[in-house]
Amino acid sequence: MKIDQDLCIGCGQCVPYCPVGAIALGDDTADIDLDECAECGNCLRMAGCPVDAIFQQELAWPRTVRSVLSDPLTIAEESGISGRGTEEMKTNEVTGRFKLGTVGIGIEVGRPVTGARFYDVEKIAQAVAQLGVEFEKINPVTSLMSDPKTGKFKDDILNEKVLSAILEFPMETEKLPRLFEALKKVSGEIESVFSLDVATRIAPDGSVPTDPHIKPSGLWLAPNGKTNVGLGRPRYQEDKS
Amino acid sequence: MTHTNHRIGDHLEEDYVILIMPSKGINVKGSAAKLRKYLELALENGAIKIGDARLGNEYHQGGVDKVLDNLQDQAVVQAVFKDKASLVKALKAYKKADLGLSVVVSGLFDQVTECIKEAGLERHTINQSMGRWGKTDRLPPTEILQLNTMCGHGMVGVGLIKEVVEAVKKKEITPEQGAERLFAPCMCGIQNPHRAALILKDLTA
Repeated sequence: MKIDQDLCIGCGQCVPYCPVGAIALGDDTADIDLDECAECGNCLRMAGCPVDAIFQQELAWPRTVRSVLSDPLTIAEESGISGRGTEEMKTNEVTGRFKLGTVGIGIEVGRPVTGARFYDVEKIAQAVAQLGVEFEKINPVTSLMSDPKTGKFKDDILNEKVLSAILEFPMETEKLPRLFEALKKVSGEIESVFSLDVATRIAPDGSVPTDPHIKPSGLWLAPNGKTNVGLGRPRYQEDKS
Repeated sequence: MTHTNHRIGDHLEEDYVILIMPSKGINVKGSAAKLRKYLELALENGAIKIGDARLGNEYHQGGVDKVLDNLQDQAVVQAVFKDKASLVKALKAYKKADLGLSVVVSGLFDQVTECIKEAGLERHTINQSMGRWGKTDRLPPTEILQLNTMCGHGMVGVGLIKEVVEAVKKKEITPEQGAERLFAPCMCGIQNPHRAALILKDLTA
């Protein structure tokens, strides 16, 4: 995103709308630090610039990555839906994506607040790839990897900044403690934050299969989250392979 | 993937979001009309906001009617509730309508589980948040994060939150007006302005 310096009157109205603080007000005009801008479109949509000085410049690869993973109204080709992720557990009763014994992991790098450079996303991806995970193919972040087996990303996007990028993969429930150890280690090696999600099918007796693996770890677990109530049709038949 | 999953802070007992979506390649065709019905049922049963993650919230589209009229197949839609009684009523209406799209409820697990049971439904799959990792010392305090994390796409930035808090403190705007300002950038329409107003009152008391 850019601000036309000839039009800008320096009112500062756009400044608070930038989620990554990339807009600065100078003596006479506001300007956008293009290296920090994640191309989310929020300033253009929301600031109500009185002189229409904010404009979307033409984006070329690799900068296009910023828009795809930052602007919530961009439709990702891979998933076919808006936003940065996939259907994940939201449609699990019809897709059967996460069956008993398997958890769905989401590592949303850059969320909240900090945003993320892809060199940090790569560090985390490479750390969890060593556990033998298979990244979700229809997640747009996976399509940016040059080697999904190792978590290596294309070199030309490593410095690109996005509001968040979600690493998504299924894994065996009993491997959770190993995942936590890998994430604790890589947490000290990155400059971003990330949020961690663990999705699980509820057991037939109503219990939560992840409890024996998460509760002994002593790690923080939110009292709130998402619950799929099983209304989708046709229902996935659990006994089919 | 996770846009309602990492809410933290106060007044979560007055914060519930229903998300409805079809599944690619399974039940997408003809889903727009069903999505509209789900949102209409939400509004009839006490939803305080609705939104469409594909085309934007009511401010972006020009009104609640536009959100309903513009729905497309493969949209992901949401409805925000401020109390359990309304949530239960909406879930009962969804069960009765049996429209066949996936329904996900976001909120405190113990409260949501009670509501699901009361509506005659069962939990199928849950998504749990295990919080924030990495360089967390870069994050603002919880009093700011609790407003920021209501928009999972990060559109309600720290700068805007601080500006709104200051404006409420100076009595330039009411907490309710401030909450609407914070709702507007949340394109999916999942920001809960009722809870945001409660938090703004706390922060400016």
